[in-house]
Amino acid sequence: MITVDGLTKRYGSTVAVDNLSFSVEPGVVTGFLGPNGSGKSTTMRCMIGLDRMQAGRALFDGKPYSSLRNPLHEVGALLDAGNAHSGRTARNHLRWMAASNGLPAKRVDEVLDIVGLQQVAKKRVGQFSLGMKQRLGIASVLLGDPRVVILDEPANGLDPEGIRWIREMLKHLASQGRAVLVSSHLLSEMALIADELVVIGKGRLIEQCTVDQFISRHARKWVVVRSPQLGTLVDVARAKGMQVATNETTAEFHGVESEIIGELAAANGVVLHELSTQTGSLEDAFLEVTATSVEYHGQSEAAK
Amino acid sequence: MIATIRSEWIKLRSVRSNVTTTIVAVVIPLAITLLSVTFMRTSGIGENTLSDFVLGTGSIAVLLIGVIGVLCITQEYSQGTIRLTLAATPKRTRVYLAKLVVMALVGALVTGFIILASTTVGSIILESRDVSGPHTGPDSGAAFVAMILMGSLVALLGMAIGTLTRNPPSAITTLVLWPLLVEGIVGALLSLAFEDNVTRWMPFQTGLNSMFAELPEGGFGRWGSLGYFAAWVLLVTVLAERGMKRRDA
Repeated sequence: MITVDGLTKRYGSTVAVDNLSFSVEPGVVTGFLGPNGSGKSTTMRCMIGLDRMQAGRALFDGKPYSSLRNPLHEVGALLDAGNAHSGRTARNHLRWMAASNGLPAKRVDEVLDIVGLQQVAKKRVGQFSLGMKQRLGIASVLLGDPRVVILDEPANGLDPEGIRWIREMLKHLASQGRAVLVSSHLLSEMALIADELVVIGKGRLIEQCTVDQFISRHARKWVVVRSPQLGTLVDVARAKGMQVATNETTAEFHGVESEIIGELAAANGVVLHELSTQTGSLEDAFLEVTATSVEYHGQSEAAK
Repeated sequence: MIATIRSEWIKLRSVRSNVTTTIVAVVIPLAITLLSVTFMRTSGIGENTLSDFVLGTGSIAVLLIGVIGVLCITQEYSQGTIRLTLAATPKRTRVYLAKLVVMALVGALVTGFIILASTTVGSIILESRDVSGPHTGPDSGAAFVAMILMGSLVALLGMAIGTLTRNPPSAITTLVLWPLLVEGIVGALLSLAFEDNVTRWMPFQTGLNSMFAELPEGGFGRWGSLGYFAAWVLLVTVLAERGMKRRDA
């Protein structure tokens, strides 16, 4: 498992990641969610020691990355599938990585087989499509059969087939008991892949919870009613202090369950033509939460 | 450490531009030497002629080897693989040392091969033109050793400059302009100000001078010159390695 504790990274006077703490459990996919520029990639680079953090630590099964002797055996990280020399063949790209951690060339052929690139193993990476590069990146992650997998925006720029392949691969890896951390700026994508969520905005943790908890907590819900006696129902509801928005033929009741509205209509003899619960999109919920964090951040800056 | 060296060796030979540059570094000096001994008038050929050609074209070879040194690290930054390298081997000093070992060997092997091939084939050509031996002068052995060491040192210098700039064009420009332009101009200006032979303080000139069969007057001697250049390479190497350790990848 991964434990990130108080991670802080500044570039000059800009705070990219601010006292960030979260944990990633084995056996589940944890989505690392935040808008573009919220510090996801910086966090991941700091976690594996590419960038120096100013404060805090990131531990993999209790050990910092820099103390791992052959890190590919413990942590497989794919930060950018484009990080491959365009002039090298896929096989040679994996061979130097394997050699650096004492892995045999046989393992290279195995992972090429797993990701389905054995046919193009001797082609140069420069000729690869984005989807093929992504597969090569996953192959490099699998080289050392690591217990922890970290991926930064693996679905970016992929076609639907590629996205589905990544999704199934990640779920498969988690089902084998690995801890999987995958970042994205799309909540809808995360909702399909992840079980757990770590949500950040402006480099700060907003919350860590399950996807379901996040949705039920933040997704807006309201009840839509169509009725020939709409005016009566709206007046009664408003008298009870409910928030109601009306237009010509329908009314939207916020912050209540549809049962309450149904019972209210029956008690007042109102005929209903429609009574339905609407849920706001996940994207709206996410934007709403992160917008708050941005606003909060702005206020705290102004207060200084 | 062995695993890291193996990894660096695979990296170096699996990119075509590295291999091409290496072949060019061998072929150009070899071709100049062999064409010269094939076509020059036999009356002008003495016992130092062949070794003088080998050592004279050696500076071209050495500079091209420096370019390989630059490429071995800058291509990691330009292609993004440095992040994979440092993720696979978090100990950055180990990564630098592994590259250093590989480049020092490549520098020595390339110069060694040039010397061996050009003296062997050159002798055969000269024999066939009825020029009797010996074809290499009495002091050429020590000069050849100096050339091999220069091959290693310039490879390491290129690698160090590449690590500092992280950018192929600026590193190659620095490597080439340093001996050709900077030392020439600075040396000339200093010569105006001082009576003393100041050019011997120019690191690259002094290093390359160690490859002459007959050393120029007023220098540090062959091994002194080589040592002086090596001290500069060490200085730039230490700066580069410390920078690599400190900076974000």
